[in-house]
Amino acid sequence: MLYVVLFFLIFSLFLYVVLGGADYGAGIIELFSSEENQKITKKTIYRVMGPVWEANHIWIIILIVILWIAFPVYYNIMVVNLHIPITIVLLGVTLRGVAFVFRHYDAIIDNSQQLYDRMFKISSLITPVFLGMVFGALISGEIEVAEDVSTLSFYEAFIRPWFNIFSIMVGLFFAALCAFLSSVLLIGESEIGKENIYIRKSIIAVIIVFVVGLLTFGYGFFSENIFVQDFIGDPFAMIAVVFSGLLLFPLWKTIKKGNKVWSRFFAGLQVFLILLAALISHFPNIIITKTGAISLIDDVAPDSVINTLGITLIIGGTVILPGLFHLLKSFKMIKILERNSTSD
Amino acid sequence: MENLDAARLQMAFTLIFHIVFACIGMVMPFFMVVSHYKWLKTRDQIYLTLTKSWQKGVAIFFVTGAVSGTALSFELGLLWPEFMKHAGPIIGMPFSLEGAAFFVEAIALGFYLYGWNKLPERFHWFTGIIIGVSGVASGILVVAANGWMNAPSGFDYIDGKFLNINPVEAMLNPAWFTQALHMTLAAFTATGFAVAGIHAYQVYKKRRIELHKKAFKIAITFGAIAAILQPISGDISAKDIAERQPVKLAAMEAHYTTEKGAPLYIGGIVNAETQEVSYKIALPKMLSFLAFGDFDAEVKGLNDFPEDEHPNVPMVHYAFQIMVGIGGILLLAGVLYFISLKRKKWFNTNRYWLLFVILAPLGFIALEAGWIVTEVGRQPWIIHKIMRTKDAVTPMPGIVFSFYTYVVVYLTLSVAVTWLMLRQIKVLNHSNH
Repeated sequence: MLYVVLFFLIFSLFLYVVLGGADYGAGIIELFSSEENQKITKKTIYRVMGPVWEANHIWIIILIVILWIAFPVYYNIMVVNLHIPITIVLLGVTLRGVAFVFRHYDAIIDNSQQLYDRMFKISSLITPVFLGMVFGALISGEIEVAEDVSTLSFYEAFIRPWFNIFSIMVGLFFAALCAFLSSVLLIGESEIGKENIYIRKSIIAVIIVFVVGLLTFGYGFFSENIFVQDFIGDPFAMIAVVFSGLLLFPLWKTIKKGNKVWSRFFAGLQVFLILLAALISHFPNIIITKTGAISLIDDVAPDSVINTLGITLIIGGTVILPGLFHLLKSFKMIKILERNSTSD
Repeated sequence: MENLDAARLQMAFTLIFHIVFACIGMVMPFFMVVSHYKWLKTRDQIYLTLTKSWQKGVAIFFVTGAVSGTALSFELGLLWPEFMKHAGPIIGMPFSLEGAAFFVEAIALGFYLYGWNKLPERFHWFTGIIIGVSGVASGILVVAANGWMNAPSGFDYIDGKFLNINPVEAMLNPAWFTQALHMTLAAFTATGFAVAGIHAYQVYKKRRIELHKKAFKIAITFGAIAAILQPISGDISAKDIAERQPVKLAAMEAHYTTEKGAPLYIGGIVNAETQEVSYKIALPKMLSFLAFGDFDAEVKGLNDFPEDEHPNVPMVHYAFQIMVGIGGILLLAGVLYFISLKRKKWFNTNRYWLLFVILAPLGFIALEAGWIVTEVGRQPWIIHKIMRTKDAVTPMPGIVFSFYTYVVVYLTLSVAVTWLMLRQIKVLNHSNH
């Protein structure tokens, strides 16, 4: 059953990164667009994301609930040491969600739209950066776990773990990844004749992902970051990353051909491979502290808890996944894919 | 401000807001679905306009409820890490089921909002039912987790360790049913009266009377029925608390000395120092009867419990009085509504509509007061008799700053949501003219 729980943990992490990521990315793209393109993007985002964006963001709740039920010790380290960035993520999620609804459901369209737009765009950038910083902090080797936190200074215990160059770079990397996912998604959804906007954006995003990724690694390598060193030393992780890079070629081909199914599949697969590479090089020791790695599996909840959680997840999954699939299918996202795949 | 106080205030503050958003998001789909049903049956354009207007309300409140709920799911750990470290695995089950129910709700909402003219009519309507049912299920599951804090079960507590965990038993703790029933009825009462009150105001102001009267009737029917049923649930809750949390009951009643045939105090000002309640109305032997169904039963007073296990007595007592007082008023108003269905001419008097305008906020005030009774009444425990709140709080200092941030954000949010609702109503009143 532990494996079922682990599967759902990684499954929801992956879906959150891909679906939620594309969702954040849409805001980032809008932020870095010319005024005219912003309007087009706003309309497209609403049409594409409108029916599904709430569902996209529930994955993080599922993720966090699995963490606290099954891996309470791990969760405890996160919420104690990373209190500040998590709070910023939460405020970002709140403002972003509210801004999205306000700008599309406000009965009167007037100047207040500008405020909603600004709120939406800025929180779309800040939230994934801090979310990435939380991921980064967990593997940065800067977390100090102490029996009594009062023996540490405020800076050592609650700031340094996430406010360090490596974590910030991981944060930027994640935001760039979001923008990449979203631009590939939007290519297929844009109004006819506007695809080039998003093709250009996706090229820029790929370059940024590559450069930031390289910088993060370079920095990690020279500052003797344990995670990065292990990562580089792990052949599987390196193969996954290289393979993910090579997928850019088929991705480019499918984009040029206007094949939405495969371009999305490749982009999703690329992100999955990056995530997989990060996980396998250190699994199950996902938190790396100053004094060493902490295993996810060691302090796992008792069997009775894991078993009921596993059963709940299986039942929940069988109810939710078909519904979710049907939702995606009913509203454009997969319908367009279907039309394409049948014509292939 | 002490870290503990700041953490408690932040939790209270965010919950107070979340409960309002969550209740409306949970109950309004039912109003929407009824109106939608009437549209399908009668093809009366007014019902379609109303359904579409309510659906916007549902969407806005669902999102505000969802994001404030996401924040809360993290806050539990951010503010009370020690609690979550031990309680998380035990009460995880209702939360994971709640996650599933919430997911179903979000999917159904996606179908409903974007399904007009795209889905088969009946299926589209049915997705509205799913929104409502899964919303209520979410509410019940979260309350079940809260019930566990009042009635911890499903584990053995040996030498400070939580052993032999049984998540199903923990979820179906002795308090889950009474609390969930009370809260569900409260949500329907509060939302019913609030929504009815808003539409009553429009009728009072003579704006699109036909539409707002229809809206009023749908909302108030739910509110009135729930308000009339609520005392039964209240009685079950009181007897349950008398059994399991006698300190809480004593605080609710500001009952300091143990006695047989204890009187019931209505109102009164509590002096915690002298342990006296002045200006109260005392109904002889009624407390014993209400708590145990026996006029001569012994009711434990606060003095029978160590002082460091007392909650804030005046606060719990006042909150309880407010809740019960308003409950009584809304019950009468509910009865009055059903009488007015027989005496149609009341609908033409302005006083009738004004009355329901005044009643609009009361349900939510009672609901918040009720949660103050439950939560403050459980103090100093975060898990009744197992873990103290002060032992659960985060070791990170400076929570007061996070508290202020939340105050600013949530106050801004509620101003914005209110403003948005006013704009919805304004547009509704000017449409189809």
